[in-house]
Amino acid sequence: MLFPPDFLTRLEYLSIISKRVFRGQLLAQRRTMQMGSGIEFSDHREYTYGDDLRYLDWNVYARHGDLLLKRFQEEQDLHVYLMLDCSRSMAVGEPAKFDLARHLVAALAYIALADLDRIGIIAYANGIVAELPVTRGKARILPIMKFLEDLPTTGQDTNLAKAVQGLIHRGTRTGLAVVVSDLFDEHGFQRGLDQLRYRRFDAHVIQLHDPGEANPVLLGDAELVDIETESVRKVTVTERNLKMYKELFVNHQSAVRDYCHTYNLGCTQSPSVIRFDDLIMRMMRESGSGR
Amino acid sequence: MSFALPIALTLSALALPIIALYILKVRLRRVPVSTNLFWKQIYEEKPPRSIWQHFRHLLSLLLQLLLLLLIVFAIADPYFSWQLLQARRIVIVVDNSASMRSFDILPTRLDAAKKAAQEVINGLRFRDEVAIVLAGNTPEVVVGMTGHAPTLREAIDGIPFSDNPTSLTTSIDLGRRLIGDHPHGQVLVMTDGCVDMINTAETKTMPSTGKAAVAKTESMPSVEYRLFASEAANVGIIQLQVRRSLIDPLGYEILAAVKNASASPVTCRLELTLNDIPVDVIPLKLKPEELWSRSIEKTSLEGGLLKAALTEIAPGSDESVAGAGSKQTATTTNQPEVDQLPTDNSAYALLPDRKTQRVLIVSAGNWFLQKVFESNALVEVSVQKEFPQVWPVDGIIVLHGNIPETLPPGNVFVIDPIGNCDQWDQGEILENPIVTDQDKASPLMTHIRLDNVLVPDARQLQFKTPPHSLAKTLSGEIVYADVKRPNGKCLALSVNLDSSDLAFRTAFPIMIANSLGWFSGTTGELQASVPTGSVTTLTVQKESIDASRTFLLSPSQKVLDITIPAPSESDSGDIPATIGPLNEVGLWKLTQSKVDSAQLKGDVKDSIAEVAVNLASTRETDLRPLKELRDSSQTKTLTAGWFSRPFWFYLVIAACILTSVEWFLYHRRFIS
Repeated sequence: MLFPPDFLTRLEYLSIISKRVFRGQLLAQRRTMQMGSGIEFSDHREYTYGDDLRYLDWNVYARHGDLLLKRFQEEQDLHVYLMLDCSRSMAVGEPAKFDLARHLVAALAYIALADLDRIGIIAYANGIVAELPVTRGKARILPIMKFLEDLPTTGQDTNLAKAVQGLIHRGTRTGLAVVVSDLFDEHGFQRGLDQLRYRRFDAHVIQLHDPGEANPVLLGDAELVDIETESVRKVTVTERNLKMYKELFVNHQSAVRDYCHTYNLGCTQSPSVIRFDDLIMRMMRESGSGR
Repeated sequence: MSFALPIALTLSALALPIIALYILKVRLRRVPVSTNLFWKQIYEEKPPRSIWQHFRHLLSLLLQLLLLLLIVFAIADPYFSWQLLQARRIVIVVDNSASMRSFDILPTRLDAAKKAAQEVINGLRFRDEVAIVLAGNTPEVVVGMTGHAPTLREAIDGIPFSDNPTSLTTSIDLGRRLIGDHPHGQVLVMTDGCVDMINTAETKTMPSTGKAAVAKTESMPSVEYRLFASEAANVGIIQLQVRRSLIDPLGYEILAAVKNASASPVTCRLELTLNDIPVDVIPLKLKPEELWSRSIEKTSLEGGLLKAALTEIAPGSDESVAGAGSKQTATTTNQPEVDQLPTDNSAYALLPDRKTQRVLIVSAGNWFLQKVFESNALVEVSVQKEFPQVWPVDGIIVLHGNIPETLPPGNVFVIDPIGNCDQWDQGEILENPIVTDQDKASPLMTHIRLDNVLVPDARQLQFKTPPHSLAKTLSGEIVYADVKRPNGKCLALSVNLDSSDLAFRTAFPIMIANSLGWFSGTTGELQASVPTGSVTTLTVQKESIDASRTFLLSPSQKVLDITIPAPSESDSGDIPATIGPLNEVGLWKLTQSKVDSAQLKGDVKDSIAEVAVNLASTRETDLRPLKELRDSSQTKTLTAGWFSRPFWFYLVIAACILTSVEWFLYHRRFIS
């Protein structure tokens, strides 16, 4: 069973914690920069003919005789797109990265729904393989969990860019895009994230990896089978090769981190052996301190 | 090239399974990975080198086949003909004489020689053969010709110290015989050069100065001397003998000689003890090279072990040696050692016991006769005028004047007999007989001269059995005779003691003392101490010997088996037991135990016979090497060169290197 019986209880707990910790820094409480008819004061501007006199600041006029109009920040519903990598590489590990990823998606969806945001889930591999349309309301969490539980790992070639392209072509509103993936993308994870940035999505990357991927226990002659592409490579793994592998893996992790840092994207990297709620808490702490 | 074990070449067939395994494909294990993204980068960073790529697997096969070939060759033990032709035969003669115990070369000369011999073994070449000969008292081949280095090393390590003198010349001869007519033979002598002389044939061709003393004639192997000695000073006892006095029944005489074998004066003390009881202490001041020798007279009824020991040996000053009233010793700590060999600081000798003899004098009365026996402390005298009812079975019966018709059995000394008996008839009275013929060889006549003794008359004795004449008159009449009879010893002296002046002469007590000794059967006035390394014969009583339980006990309490021939019925009371070589200074005991030799402990008390063994060698005491050897002998290494080991050894080394290379290549995955 992907979601144990106490899963919802833990989600509720996370939801409460998130409201206390973030105080308007996450998801729907994140304010748009659009001026509008909200209730939170933003600044003044000079009155021009035709402006609604209800927004005239009489107090300023009484003291200084200047006609200034009060401006307010407009509140909007935030669209949260949870992009879940369901390629075969996510099935690796014990527990599988995919399980943690689905737990994370469910948790983030619940938190967003609890904040009255709209969420959509896009499962992708070599393209969008499944999609949960944008929805709102905490009551939608059960269908979301059912959707996630039914998701298989599939595809032969992870392609985030293609999935993002599919998301854009659907004409969706911009919002927060959370990518949950291992980012083992031979086409380059940057392309997909670039497209999100270009379309003014506020992207957040959650990169998961199995400890066996970071430190493979492998020496000698072997046939390495890529479980996504099923391509076979006959190699003789030496200590030196292992060292090089680890360097490349670390470099890949660093590249993701650096990319996110460069473009001010949220980034969370974690091994898959962590509990989802711990990881959510860690994300909350990092967001609270860093952004 | 030849092979010592050519059948081992059949092991080359093992190449077939190696090739078969090479041809067979090995299925690799499949390892699923999340992505080949990184592996692709790793292996694409090293583009295959085409030539190496093609040959690396073949190289692996070739390396393995070469490895097999090397091992097979090593087992087959190949050798070349030149190795046989250039092989050497070396005889290492190790001098383990007493002087090699000297510690002027630390730890000892023998240890240094053994170390040098080990170095020679380390330098042997393949096919060289070495024998080891000990130059002790008699040459001994410790190990025959062999090229097995561990055996040789073990034999060298096992060379013992000994107290024997050196037999260098005979050992070298033995070494030469071992070498035979081998073209590359060499005798290597490890010695301290403490020998009186060496073979002229060896020394005359030795260079007076040079690196090595190599003497070689056309037909003989070369002899090279390695000297392990310095100009060490030493002082030692070179002679110790003790014997019973010929004139004093209780007395004994000690002959001791001490040699200062150094170029500087020495002071010391010679302490003499008999059965650990001090007898005398003689302070000695010895000049350089002085040989001190003295005969010392002492008295003791009891015999036993006489020990002489040099103590308080110290360098002496010239004044202390020359001036009698000067200070005795001038010992200072910064003076050089004057005694480098402890072995000759002790010497031993055995003093025979004197046993009390009972003498029954049957005489009408002669004061001189009675007193001459009573004056001997070892004699218990009883005098009777009449013949006893029962003659005593032990002791000596002296019949003066009247004699029975049948002489009693046992030891009988008849003096001036009157009448006939079963051994002789009395003849006429000889007037003024002059003794002109004495048996000087007989122990009964030792130190006796009767030719100037005034004898007014003597009785003519007509012996029924021809006696052994001890003294004859000018006319051929026997006046003193050893009468041969089956039931005991008998002496007959026909001189009238009352009328002659024999009783006043010193010859008379000597004659009586000789006769007492003769009757007692002991000729052991002197039980000589023997030098180390000698073989000696001890006399043991037939009744007391049990050949199966008789052992030889060395001074260091080592139990040695000895073979004593079982006494036959025809043997008389004493049988000889030959023991030796006695290679240790001290008291050797022929012991008889109730247990087997394996169970025999050190404390054995029942000794049947004993013999004292001393170094007693002037040359061993003198630790300075022979001049010819000292001038010429020096070390020369029998270097083996690079190719000193058998060919298989290098093959194994090559195989090991090859294994390392193969392992490296495999470990580094150059071959995969």
